[in-house]
Amino acid sequence: MRGFNVLLQKEFREAWRSWKFLWIPLVFALLGMSDPLTNYYMMDILNAVGNVPEGFEMLMPELMPLDLIQASIGQFQTIGLLVMMASFVGAVSKERANGMATLLYARPISFGAYFLSKFVVMSTICFVSILAGFGASVYYTTILYGTLDVGALLVSFSTYYIWLLFVIAVTLMMSASFKTVIATTCAFTVIFVGQIIDMIIGIFWTISPWKLASYGIAKFRGTIEMSDYWWSLVITLALTIICIGIGIVMMKRNASMTKI
Amino acid sequence: MTTLLQVIGLTKQFAEHKVVDAIHFNLEEKTSTALIGPNGAGKTTTLSMLTGLLRPTAGNVKMLGNDLRANIGFLPQYPQFHPWLTALEFTEMAAKLNGVAAKKAKLEAQKTLEFVGLGDVQHKKIASFSGGMKQRLGISQAIVHKPKLLLLDEPVSALDPVGRREVLDLLKGLQQETTILYSTHILNDAEEMTDQLLFLQNGKLVEQGTLREVRQRFDEQNYVIEFGSEEEAKLFANPSNHVIGCNVYIEIVNEEPTMKMLLQRLSECPYTIRKVERQTASLEEIFMKVAKKA
Repeated sequence: MRGFNVLLQKEFREAWRSWKFLWIPLVFALLGMSDPLTNYYMMDILNAVGNVPEGFEMLMPELMPLDLIQASIGQFQTIGLLVMMASFVGAVSKERANGMATLLYARPISFGAYFLSKFVVMSTICFVSILAGFGASVYYTTILYGTLDVGALLVSFSTYYIWLLFVIAVTLMMSASFKTVIATTCAFTVIFVGQIIDMIIGIFWTISPWKLASYGIAKFRGTIEMSDYWWSLVITLALTIICIGIGIVMMKRNASMTKI
Repeated sequence: MTTLLQVIGLTKQFAEHKVVDAIHFNLEEKTSTALIGPNGAGKTTTLSMLTGLLRPTAGNVKMLGNDLRANIGFLPQYPQFHPWLTALEFTEMAAKLNGVAAKKAKLEAQKTLEFVGLGDVQHKKIASFSGGMKQRLGISQAIVHKPKLLLLDEPVSALDPVGRREVLDLLKGLQQETTILYSTHILNDAEEMTDQLLFLQNGKLVEQGTLREVRQRFDEQNYVIEFGSEEEAKLFANPSNHVIGCNVYIEIVNEEPTMKMLLQRLSECPYTIRKVERQTASLEEIFMKVAKKA
């Protein structure tokens, strides 16, 4: 792990100076606050927009605080993931393509250290982002709908974070393995097509990393088997470690692809 | 002199094409060697294998008594830096990654930046640097850890004449302290700061030796004789000689005429002879001859 601290410092500097620590959490915060606000003020919004026929009455479902958190997680799962993956997918491949990696690869660094330094920084950005997202969601949910169970929140937050670690590991692995365009296609396919498949025919299985995002809340509601939750968690963590391992090997193998 | 680096049968093959074909050479300590060749000769591929960026198809590289990667400094032809870092941060990072202790790294980075003339802008972000400044920063990151071997890929080819002169002067300063292997196709530069020449063509090392040795092998003794007038020059010249103004250019072909024959002709001629000069072939002329021979 030679040079890990130095490379970690470099990655943190990059993330900080390219404002990633600001704008990605900001996107998540906006996504987090959107559901509690739009749901609560839906009638007002409809009335303000107009075009509502006279005598029209819409029955709004009675939402519980946990429903709003679940809805926010749904937002993170689409736009949030898209933003996060798009900003991370070139982390290795772009550095290789534009030659910035050359001056690092020609030094006696450990590829494991370099890959992990990127993974740690991205994980930190993700942590801050979902903290901002959950924070915004919880704040407006609490004000508008009532208090949330702290235990449920912590479980759903931690479970969702583990899912995000898997997403980062897949994204980085693809970036280390392919050129940016191919890496983007492959990473998006694995994560989003995986989600769609899980949505369409996911009733046939109960253990999958793609289910983990919703399992945090479901676990608290008692709508899933505990063993399914734990197995999904273990498999996700195992796959994350495997992706990291493959990513390191591919980063080393593709070092010669760096532009000289 | 102690041999620092041994390159033995180094080969790189992409599909059926051998880009570098079984080259052998040694680098002596504290010497400067130019890797010369036209575009596509295999210079960059050779340097990439020496840095460890490319795995050779065959052959190996031995740095005597040392770990190669820890003891080299490398400057690519178009170095790309992380633009959000300052010159000091980048050079300090380079030092630390090469094993310089964290406490010492900053001081070494500052000293090196002063040496390359970037002391005043060490806290500026690299994004604001010009091409010449980036090249000097490239040298700074390559030498900050005091490597035993400095590998430079076309270090001045992308620079304007002022930047080129600055970088060449810097490299001349380094010649006393470290071993330098650099690739170039600008032969004037090679002539200026080279102890050994390696001519690469189509991936093969077609000629090597000191500048003097190579000159002896390829430099034919041509002469230029300056007469008092253009008319005298024309009267003296044979049909095989070139006459330009008052000068007669005598080309030695198959060792004819010999020096003795030439002196005899000159002593017998009735014209005013202002100057007799032996013409030394430029490295470019030698390079063309080597290329033809290969």
